[in-house]
Amino acid sequence: MTVSPISLDKGVFTLNNTGFERGEVNGIRVHVMPTTRFKTFAVSLYMGVPLAENTVTPTALIPFILRRGTETYPETTSFREALENMYGAGFGFDVYKKGDYQMVQLRMDTINDSFVASDEPLLSRTLAFLGETVTRPVLENGRFREKYVQAERENVRKRMEAVIDDKIRYAAERCIQEMCKDEPYRLSALGKMDVLDQLDGASVYEQYQQWLSNSSMDLYIVGDTTLDEVMQLVGRHFQVNRSATVMYTPAVPRPAAPEVRQVIEEMAVSQGKLNMGLRTSITYSDERYAAALVANGVLGGFPHSKLFMNVREKESLAYYVGSRFDPYKGIATIQSGIELQNFEKALEIIRQQLSNLQTGDITESEISQTKALIRNDLLESRDSAYQMIAYDFNGLFSDKERSVDELLTGIEQITADEIQAASSVLQLDTIYFLTGQKEA
Amino acid sequence: MESIHYDRLQETLYHEKLDNGLEVYVLPKEGFQKTYATFATRYGSVDNHFQVEGQEEVKVPDGIAHFLEHKMFEEPDGVDVFSKFSAKGASANAFTSFEQTVYLFSATEQIEDNLDTLLNYVQNPYFTKENVDKEKGIIGQEIQMYNDNPDWRVYYGLIEAMYQKHPVRIDIAGTIESISGITKDTLYTCYNTFYHPSNMMLFVVGGVNPEQVIEQVRRNQAAKNYEPQGQIHRYFDEEPAAVGEKWNEIKLPVSQPKFLMGFKETDTGLTGEALQRKNLTTKLMLDLLLGNSTALYQQLYDEDLISDDFGYDYTSTSEYAYSMIGGDTRDPKLLVQRLQEEIGKVVETGFSQEAFDRSLRKRIGNYLRLLNSPESIAHEFTRNRFKDSDFFAILPIYESLTLDDVNQRLRDHMNWEQLAVSVVVSP
Repeated sequence: MTVSPISLDKGVFTLNNTGFERGEVNGIRVHVMPTTRFKTFAVSLYMGVPLAENTVTPTALIPFILRRGTETYPETTSFREALENMYGAGFGFDVYKKGDYQMVQLRMDTINDSFVASDEPLLSRTLAFLGETVTRPVLENGRFREKYVQAERENVRKRMEAVIDDKIRYAAERCIQEMCKDEPYRLSALGKMDVLDQLDGASVYEQYQQWLSNSSMDLYIVGDTTLDEVMQLVGRHFQVNRSATVMYTPAVPRPAAPEVRQVIEEMAVSQGKLNMGLRTSITYSDERYAAALVANGVLGGFPHSKLFMNVREKESLAYYVGSRFDPYKGIATIQSGIELQNFEKALEIIRQQLSNLQTGDITESEISQTKALIRNDLLESRDSAYQMIAYDFNGLFSDKERSVDELLTGIEQITADEIQAASSVLQLDTIYFLTGQKEA
Repeated sequence: MESIHYDRLQETLYHEKLDNGLEVYVLPKEGFQKTYATFATRYGSVDNHFQVEGQEEVKVPDGIAHFLEHKMFEEPDGVDVFSKFSAKGASANAFTSFEQTVYLFSATEQIEDNLDTLLNYVQNPYFTKENVDKEKGIIGQEIQMYNDNPDWRVYYGLIEAMYQKHPVRIDIAGTIESISGITKDTLYTCYNTFYHPSNMMLFVVGGVNPEQVIEQVRRNQAAKNYEPQGQIHRYFDEEPAAVGEKWNEIKLPVSQPKFLMGFKETDTGLTGEALQRKNLTTKLMLDLLLGNSTALYQQLYDEDLISDDFGYDYTSTSEYAYSMIGGDTRDPKLLVQRLQEEIGKVVETGFSQEAFDRSLRKRIGNYLRLLNSPESIAHEFTRNRFKDSDFFAILPIYESLTLDDVNQRLRDHMNWEQLAVSVVVSP
């Protein structure tokens, strides 16, 4: 039985429609998906600024300070009690890189009122809380409370240092650092350790005001509500001095280094981490995007992929091995954990698989299985409010509207030749190996 | 087929116990694209000494339940199981824990085919000397990966410190040495014991028709002609009440020390609703004591002894039960001392009614949020069902808890005689 994407939609989506209704208030783009499918309201606020050496560190510190206290809830304990009183509303934030931007994302999710007894509608309380957190932090003499700044500076410093505790993540970040050493993308999303110590309540507050006025702001809400209701609430609770909305400028991909660089680092580890960085000219807005997605899937996105089948199943060299495609930056990465002495052997097999992909040595079943799993991932994303939000934001971020249905159709039609073409623009740039320490 | 309606949750669960003993549960989710199915056996890393009624007593190598999970993906026709699922648009996986092994897929289409694949591959073992030996390299790398992971090491360090005899102290994946002793024969012994349908449960959640799913499973199982199997007896050496080690230190390069402490319960043996009630009471108590809105948390944060990764959890089965509290810290010894001082104060005063009401509301909110997630529903339901408790009956239990219950639990659980500490520090 085959089912067309439209009949699967159960009335929530229509073809070529993202399902989001849009408005604009106080220079903030507002995106609302009215639906009764979830037991919660999902709220996500994206605030992006260009990733830059001189602002990355104070910008990273901002959300850490904002979650310490507001005008109404100046003490952190009272701030968190307020969340608990909203039936334990989820509250979280994240600082990360996306393309050449530094993103700060704040999320809340709150139970839909119909499941609990509440005096004031929980959506209204949620937006009031988020709005106050972002726009009305607790201040002391016109600057951030020094006690909070100091504690959170220390917190961020520990987080930077803690990257080394997780060797898989450490190796991935080191590989990117090496590959992008001449670009802002080399920077950690959390900023720079040496700048951190110089920040105080005044300097971070100054950066905060810039950020609040100049960042690109997108507020998403999925739940049992309407665009009108949300627009009113945002107008009331997000009082910001912004002249206009700010758009994103997609990253321009760079070519690979003329010669492949190899970096080997020693540490007291039992397992070696082999990471590879590749450049691609294909980004999200590219016509070849769907082909590049399938190409990555054939190479290392799934357990049926070339890397998993050959490095793991055939040669028993690794437990984890895979590839990732980052269409916002125009790069791809390969990662694997291997026995220390198997570096050359694993590298050779991975390079062979990459070469097979690029020369078109791809089977019909590799293609059909990859397409089926990407299709499934896309369809499944409709069960998650946050995934639907993320998908929509990706299009907005890349200035390319492409509905899930369009992408599904695009993937269905991709041919082996197109996969090969999309693979042929992949250029190996950097090989990074984290290995054990030599006997002294 | 019976149906159970949970009015407050707006969910209806369908259930049937098949002739061969397999328990089948279906939870239809209106409007969901995805179907998520788990096929679970009540068999995990702790089951290393057992006997089927009328057969011989058996002891097996550490890590074999997990090894068996890996090997189930091997089929006599040589077709890779992952590829079979991929071809039908399903994303497949499996995991092993202390008490269970779970095989799963999620898919939006061709659910009938994928469900057949799930049932058939798990019920069709194929172990050879060659494919068993091949897996030792892969699992060896999995073990090495965990060896380098300080969070995993501090976690196991605590369980090893607390438990002297009980196999919960054995690493789920075993060691490179212990898995070297695994053969196809030992795998078949474990398989034949624990993968009998009467020891298994199927849970399907998503946009499905319950009657159709259950009818499909009935047909699938009837064709396999399983003979009835005697009861499985699991043997555990008697666990002393006391912890094995008060302080367990592991050396590994870390940015700052990793710290976990826990209280080992002496009063075990509960099952069903009583076990679940105690579990929920303890978790609520820990929220009230150590949650990030508490004065104690903020105090330790201000003293720069804990950070955002500070957390706690409580695990309980009829055999063992313990809490875990900790995170990264600059000074593990000072943190234990400060926790002991501050917890001591709270034990004397108890919690306030206001804090109790607020924390209970948060717990209920978190519980309802879990019901958005098919994965959480399937995992939590199965885990609870294997302990004879009902994941969908949690709301009334929460609502019956009182401040006195939680204060009593606080006094009982914070027994410093039962404390063990695990740390990972740089060499």
